Amino acid sequence: MRLDPTDPGLPSAAAVGGVDQGNFKRVADRYLKREVLGEGTYGVVFKAVDTKTGQIVAIKKIRLGAQKEGINFTALREIKLLKELKDPNIIELIDAFPHKGNLHLVFEFMESDLEAVIRDRNIVLSPADIKSFLQMTLRGLVFCHRKWVLHRDMKPNNLLIAADGQLKLADFGLARIFGSPDRRFTHQVFARWYRAPELLFGAKQYGPGVDVWAAGCIFAELLLRRPFLQGVSDIDQLGKIFAALGTPTPAQWPDMVHLPDYVEYQFVPPPPLRSLFPNTSDDALDLLSKMLAYDPKTRISAHQALDHRYFTSVPAPTKPALLPRPAPKGESLSRRLPDLNVQKGPVVLSPPRKSRRVMLPKEAEGNPLEAEDRGGGGGGPSGHMPMSIDLAAAFGSKPIPRPKLNSVDRSHLKRKLDLDAEFG
Amino acid sequence: MAANFWTSSHSKLLLDQDEVDMVPSMDKEKGLTLEDFKLIKIHMTNYIWKLAQLIKVRQRVIATAVTYFRRVYTRKSMSEYDPRLLAPTCLYLASKAEESTVQARLIVFYIKKHSTDEKYRFEVKDILEMEMKLLEALDYYLIVYHPYRSLAQLLQDAGMADLTHLSWGIVNDTYRMDLILIYAPFKIALACIYIATVLKEKDSTSWFEELRVDMNEIKNISMEILEFYDVYKQVIPDDRIIAALNRLTSKA
Repeated sequence: MRLDPTDPGLPSAAAVGGVDQGNFKRVADRYLKREVLGEGTYGVVFKAVDTKTGQIVAIKKIRLGAQKEGINFTALREIKLLKELKDPNIIELIDAFPHKGNLHLVFEFMESDLEAVIRDRNIVLSPADIKSFLQMTLRGLVFCHRKWVLHRDMKPNNLLIAADGQLKLADFGLARIFGSPDRRFTHQVFARWYRAPELLFGAKQYGPGVDVWAAGCIFAELLLRRPFLQGVSDIDQLGKIFAALGTPTPAQWPDMVHLPDYVEYQFVPPPPLRSLFPNTSDDALDLLSKMLAYDPKTRISAHQALDHRYFTSVPAPTKPALLPRPAPKGESLSRRLPDLNVQKGPVVLSPPRKSRRVMLPKEAEGNPLEAEDRGGGGGGPSGHMPMSIDLAAAFGSKPIPRPKLNSVDRSHLKRKLDLDAEFG
Repeated sequence: MAANFWTSSHSKLLLDQDEVDMVPSMDKEKGLTLEDFKLIKIHMTNYIWKLAQLIKVRQRVIATAVTYFRRVYTRKSMSEYDPRLLAPTCLYLASKAEESTVQARLIVFYIKKHSTDEKYRFEVKDILEMEMKLLEALDYYLIVYHPYRSLAQLLQDAGMADLTHLSWGIVNDTYRMDLILIYAPFKIALACIYIATVLKEKDSTSWFEELRVDMNEIKNISMEILEFYDVYKQVIPDDRIIAALNRLTSKA
């Protein structure tokens, strides 16, 4: 989906042959294949031209894993959610089609991503630019949350930037629908630096606040031009958070002590946030502190965040088309490729299926002891992912037997329904 | 969730009864009647249900699988999409879409356990091939809403939690019909609650009035459900199903 260095060794400009010529208007020969953009977790991504619209698109070819379990689960999740999520700040899934036994997903082509913007030393980000990026991020999140979708993998690298400057949430491979009150989820989501404290303490029941925390970290990263809280392990991540924001007190976050992986940390008083962000406006700092509130119940929602006075005070957010963008050079972008590549990741603390998400960003080896610890249980959940909990648990584990309506009941009912004029 | 439903693809994909009751032309040419068409769908719904119970999947997965199954035949013919293969494939895809993945080989195992009929026997590769066709036939829309959640909420709101068992069972039965393709799930839930209240002689008038829903529509759905109970109260004889399915495999 991103503009990654071209691999000249791969065939380009070859028209993708048509399949299923009969019933489907969406035949594969709608797209003219161009260069390969990169290798994603579940297959090659290449650039193409949509001959129907003239639009440039990115096509993800979903590799079928050894023909054992059909369509890749992560890909399926992404399809499922993106078919429902249509918003200017969410990547558009334009089309999907099978071709030669592989599923292909067609996305709008995105020029760059927020990580490339933040890392590009030639770019100066004005307060207005930062405001614009954050606003678009929050708009995308509001839309997701309104549709009861948690993104669960917010990080600059997944915030893509279109040719017109619009920022769009992408990579919904970890996203989930929430809303069932008693649903339990895995806490092994998000790249660690963006993981909310409740997740680090092993919470299984969480809500949109986890995305807001991550957006807060991204906000801080835009201000600092480097990742805000760079922990090398989960324990260290909490340490980094507490060093920056102070150790939370039970008064501040009453539920904290009941979380499965809760451990007591030495008390550190919160340093003034201003000391970490010396050149930032009061409004920005106020919003940031609300997005990084410890208790998920008091943390600001994405919707409330958009209404924060930060967005109405001067300077006004930069118009997307006028935002600075990195030169689409291969050099700086190529460093991102390993991020997408499971095999090169150091220690994986989560099930293999999700490993690309939770691996250590760049810090070499990680902490094998911790990986051990996670697997070993001891109160903490082991690496496996609780797929879901039976919704019908409240009704007993067995499916409820179909009721038997006997004919007397039936005629009685019909009579009543026929005669019942009260609602007419 | 109801507010959310109206912006969903499910809501946009709702059809009229007439559209659902169209026998695909290719099947019609082979002599498949509307009654045959309906019988096969009921039979295959039961089949999905049985497989699902053997595999022990969540209720929601079953409901989603049946919805996929029924939705496909508003667009595709049974001649092209063999119901005996599509049914387990729907269960397979629904289990993934509902985040409770069941391995394809497990489904194949239970297919074989459930039936010795050669025509029902498929291998993993058949299911995986059909999965791709199924996804395409569904136009990749995988999220479907069901009456269960509304049901629980509504019953709680009405203070009629004692009707849960009965109305839940009636909701299950509605999947033997095409209601889920035609009406908003919460309306189906309301119709099932309505039937349950009438059956148990509970006065729900004021509660229904406060909901400000179109009570005529709810009652019409209730009537459809009751008619269905009336018409299909007897077990459908196997030979009728076999005859109907055979029509599909015969040459036009």
